[in-house]
Amino acid sequence: MRVPHLVCPAGSLPALKKAVDHGADAVYVGFKDPTNARNFAGLNFTDPQLAEGVAYAHRHGREVLVAINTYPQAGQTGHWHRAVDRAAELGADAVIMADPGLLAYAARTWPQLRRHLSVQGSATNADAINLAHECFGISRVVLPRVLTLPQVEYVAAHTPVEIEVFGFGSLCVMAEGRCALSSWATGESPNTHGVCSPATHVRWDQQGDTLYARLNGLLIDRFGKDEPAGYPTLCKGRFDVAGDTYYALEEPTSLNTLSILPELMRMGIAAIKVEGRQRSPTYTAQVTRVLRAAIDAASQERYSVRPEWQSQLTAISEGHQQTLGAYHRPWR
Amino acid sequence: MIRFFSTLPAKTLPRLPEAPPARIAAFVLNRLAPRLWQDEDFAWLAGRAIRIALVEPAIGITLGHDGRHFVPMQQAADVTLRAGWQDFLAMIRQEADPDTLFFQRRLQIDGDTELGLHLKNWLDATDWDALRSVLPGPAAHWLSPRA
Repeated sequence: MRVPHLVCPAGSLPALKKAVDHGADAVYVGFKDPTNARNFAGLNFTDPQLAEGVAYAHRHGREVLVAINTYPQAGQTGHWHRAVDRAAELGADAVIMADPGLLAYAARTWPQLRRHLSVQGSATNADAINLAHECFGISRVVLPRVLTLPQVEYVAAHTPVEIEVFGFGSLCVMAEGRCALSSWATGESPNTHGVCSPATHVRWDQQGDTLYARLNGLLIDRFGKDEPAGYPTLCKGRFDVAGDTYYALEEPTSLNTLSILPELMRMGIAAIKVEGRQRSPTYTAQVTRVLRAAIDAASQERYSVRPEWQSQLTAISEGHQQTLGAYHRPWR
Repeated sequence: MIRFFSTLPAKTLPRLPEAPPARIAAFVLNRLAPRLWQDEDFAWLAGRAIRIALVEPAIGITLGHDGRHFVPMQQAADVTLRAGWQDFLAMIRQEADPDTLFFQRRLQIDGDTELGLHLKNWLDATDWDALRSVLPGPAAHWLSPRA
């Protein structure tokens, strides 16, 4: 049985160090610009910070993966090419990309730099993955969170490409890499500007005990006293549909795969990914510590999920509940 | 009597002037800046006012940056981060994650969300371990995560 790599998020140098210190095998990061899907104010890495992070990770025998996973905008492809060059020059172990043109550029310019197909690439079947493998030599694919467990197993069995799956974190509405909901309200979406619900368009309005969440003036949710809040995304808003107000698109839930780790490992999954580059070093440390312990335990006989792991992950989760997401859905 | 003393800060502190604590906070931040934020130009803070406020007692300080130093501000804040003092302490000790506190409604962001996000991410990117390594023992201990 293969012990999967634990791939953890870092939005800053302290977060990268926490991930390494608490047992991540690889840390994924992005530059301070729209070339990655977490282009948030004050987040991400400058070149000197990335150089220091790579040195720190390599000193501990870990990897740094650089996400350049948005789609180059017209007239600005040079900026995205330059991001690939910077990642290669700063010693990244791999780049995570979605755009075919950018994958071709990286394969041509930096053939020795490993290429991972991003979740934003929306490759959900073996044919799509194998095509990217043949054309651009991708060595790993990050599967979108839309497949059931049997589907993951089928895909893994029909491709030579390593499979990375999400193991923990906030969930996207199930159209990864193709979602334009944010663009509908703000004109900006993850694939074009690297950000869903850009903060410039978000207003939190506390009136008495009630918190109103608005995106570019549109009311997307209203949280009563002590009701947990979530990220201000359209997909997780509550809307009036035919007289009923409810989560019409997606409930704010967090993915948690602790219970299916042995199954994922039996399928030969190469890497388990944790969502959350936008979150703090504290979050990175907490999740990394739990997932490290769980993966190590799952590689032994007689695995069971320890209650303290669940309670620690529940405490830092978005939303009301944790879920296996698409991994466990009866419908096809 | 006990009740009188326990409610005294909540009643009196909000009536005290905010300028002295804001000046002290700016002074401390300016002393720390060369060590913690060498590569940061704080352009995102230029001409803006950020407010850190406690829920109870309802007090706070408003700060800005003039391009070289943190400065106390008198104007209305562009963004306010509001939480209980225990939660601010837990964030500094890196025991609590700001997004988690936000989900749990224990951290509020009023005003310019992007500026608030930048403020949060700047604090997250700060190497607090480096700060603890230079502070005197008791202060370092107080700011360290509880075992």
